[in-house]
Amino acid sequence: MASSSSKALIALGTILLAHACYSAYEHSALHLAAGLPLDISIETVLSVVFICVGLVLGAEELKPISWRVWAGRAERESGGGGPFQGLEDRLGFVDIRVKRKDFADWVRDQGSDNKG
Amino acid sequence: MPTERELAISPLVQESVQHNTQVISNIRSLTASLFGVASGILGLESYSGFLFYLLGTFFVSILIWSILAKGKQRDYFQGVWSELWAGDVLNGGMSFVLTWTLFYGLVRA
Repeated sequence: MASSSSKALIALGTILLAHACYSAYEHSALHLAAGLPLDISIETVLSVVFICVGLVLGAEELKPISWRVWAGRAERESGGGGPFQGLEDRLGFVDIRVKRKDFADWVRDQGSDNKG
Repeated sequence: MPTERELAISPLVQESVQHNTQVISNIRSLTASLFGVASGILGLESYSGFLFYLLGTFFVSILIWSILAKGKQRDYFQGVWSELWAGDVLNGGMSFVLTWTLFYGLVRA
């Protein structure tokens, strides 16, 4: 939405600016003594305003520089992700005795299978 | 500028700082040449041309403040004055003078 309106504003402003430029050129070629007519001045200023608003509307969004704001937004947008994802997904404590017993049982089963 | 203690309490994201500076300097350089074109067409001379540039820069700053920063300039800029309101004014001034003289010469040849 913002990008299409910004493009339209920039296009309109550029056309107006080109027209004002050509008008000023023709005017200066015709009567050298007279100053610039008011309508050309208004057209120029208006076109500049249009292009400026269009440029600012079409610019990339600014990012918050404070770490907590930025991290909070990143976490919300990725649904629980964010810079602390690695800490969230860590395993809890492993019961090493149970694991060791499981491994010993498995080794014993393998041994008995090979014999039989 | 924030002190070291403040930075330790609320750290900054360097990537975002660079991104914001980039966005602002893009807008500034584009609009500076645009103001040059306009003041060349208007046929401004000496001080009135520079005054036009300063007014235009101020207008663009207000646009950035209201549209891009949504009024919360402290969230997006470290040094509000140097980055948002007066940032790149001198750099833009170069391209302003360039297009100003070019279009002044083109229109009033």
